[in-house]
Amino acid sequence: MCLFKPTGVQGKVEVGQQSVICTGCGCLCDDLDVAMAGGQLLEVSNVCLWGLSRFFPYKRFHPKKERRRILEPLGRLNGRLQGISYGAALEHAAEILGKARRPLIYGLTNTGSWAQEAALQLARNLKARLEPADLAFKAPYYHSVRKHGLYWAPLEVIRDEADTVLFWGANPLHSCPRHLVRYSVFARGRFTERGVEDRQVAAVDLYRTEVAKFCHLFVQVDPGQELHLLKGIREHLQGSPGPGPAVKGTRRLAGFLSKAEFGVIFFGRGAVYNQGLAVLDELGSLAAHLGEKQPFVLFPLASDFNSGGLYHLLFNELGVPEAPDFGHEGGLLTSAAPGDFDEVDAILVVGADLFWFLPEDQGRALQDRQVPVVSLSPFANRTTSCSQVVFPVALVGLEAAEVAYRMDGLPMVLKKLLPTAWPSDREILLDLMKAV
Amino acid sequence: MASVEELREFLPRTDCRRCGLTCTEFAASLGRGELTPEDCPVLHEPDFAGYIEALHELLGPAPAAAPAMHIEVEKCNGCGICVTMCEYHLGNCDEARLGRGPRPADKVVFKVVNGAVVVLHQELCTRLVQAAEKCNKCADHCPTGAITLT
Repeated sequence: MCLFKPTGVQGKVEVGQQSVICTGCGCLCDDLDVAMAGGQLLEVSNVCLWGLSRFFPYKRFHPKKERRRILEPLGRLNGRLQGISYGAALEHAAEILGKARRPLIYGLTNTGSWAQEAALQLARNLKARLEPADLAFKAPYYHSVRKHGLYWAPLEVIRDEADTVLFWGANPLHSCPRHLVRYSVFARGRFTERGVEDRQVAAVDLYRTEVAKFCHLFVQVDPGQELHLLKGIREHLQGSPGPGPAVKGTRRLAGFLSKAEFGVIFFGRGAVYNQGLAVLDELGSLAAHLGEKQPFVLFPLASDFNSGGLYHLLFNELGVPEAPDFGHEGGLLTSAAPGDFDEVDAILVVGADLFWFLPEDQGRALQDRQVPVVSLSPFANRTTSCSQVVFPVALVGLEAAEVAYRMDGLPMVLKKLLPTAWPSDREILLDLMKAV
Repeated sequence: MASVEELREFLPRTDCRRCGLTCTEFAASLGRGELTPEDCPVLHEPDFAGYIEALHELLGPAPAAAPAMHIEVEKCNGCGICVTMCEYHLGNCDEARLGRGPRPADKVVFKVVNGAVVVLHQELCTRLVQAAEKCNKCADHCPTGAITLT
């Protein structure tokens, strides 16, 4: 298409940006072409519906429903959120966080690395607990890595060499739609020149998802059967199947995995819904066993675009990729399990929607206890509607320059494409640090 | 029959969505004969005088040919599997073959624009060129069933 032609008769398209990085999910696709005119986005090519929500205020997977952009700092006065000045919002937020005995900084997986650094520094200053939004998903994985010492490969190596791909509790078509095409199933790599025809693909899930359409083997399990299935596969691979009935598909999955020359297990949030730590331990054990003979990677399919950056930062700064609690009486305490919010008396939410992810009873308990919430968000969401103070922020990678880590740990520089009146997450966090 | 790209040249290209569609989607609908140039409210403005006539000229006097490929935009999630699997792209577009999005200069059958697939050069489709060996790769591999070939 002639999106980037110099202005002609129509003369509407002024600027074209090629190879823009998408912040829709952890894939950080770097082949987007953007057409702009007069400081406004016109069209984005090669972007999935998930990434499109980052460029246009459409709801994810509901492109006809628009989200509301927050236009000014909001403060709760007489029970209602009302527009206030940036200085007043900063003062109000600093008062809430400064007075708190057990503050919590939550989220950070959907913001840039510079903002994450500022948030960690703020957590130190406030003696707060910092909890990543996807702690329940990633912490069991890192636990498994430390226990079993797993093989690791970047996405390009997986694209070039992996001939066996298993999705466990993951539906990449919903969490990161272009992952299949760019890296895991359909991409044609150096030693996988025929793409999907050179790969064997299987999936394990509670429901028959769209992934089943191109899977050679789809195993549907009942809730609670995952551990039994994993143990059965390992026993089959070791040549000593245990007594008693095995979960349906055990033998076929064991046969599927044993034929791999370079295998990958992509697991999604479905793997951690039930007994997450044990399931990831078994998955790690299985990958380690398979990895004794040939490369076998266990790979978390992170849907938040900078989840990798946050754990990278925590690992660098604290030595463990877990949630740090700087306010613990005995010194720094790190935790691999999400907190129960019982002690929390103030929450700062950055790059996440806390009340969307919280179980309903926990969310209601927070509201019943009237725990004040300060949130930084470009769009109105459940958390902003329950907040005492709301800061509008610039969209990372579109209105603010940042750094983000792809799901395999590759750092990428996100450029600023459009002018904006809103400050970035990082600027607000630095201002908060000065004000507290 | 003009391509979507050519039709789009004579649309406002502001994606104002006053017709409910982006300009590229509108151009694709024009090509399929589902809409007429008069359906674009912006083209009736004085700044765009002559565009409607130019579009009619491009579309030709004959009714549009029966659509060979129909995309249900509501179902498409922009995963791009069809773009990578396309038989024409396999031999003619390195980027698409490797799983990346086609570059703006690449002449391709379709590509993902604003989160949904848009047919740009239907005349390049292998299915139309080699009628004996019907290629259904895009529709066969679409996980959401958004593509229908007739």
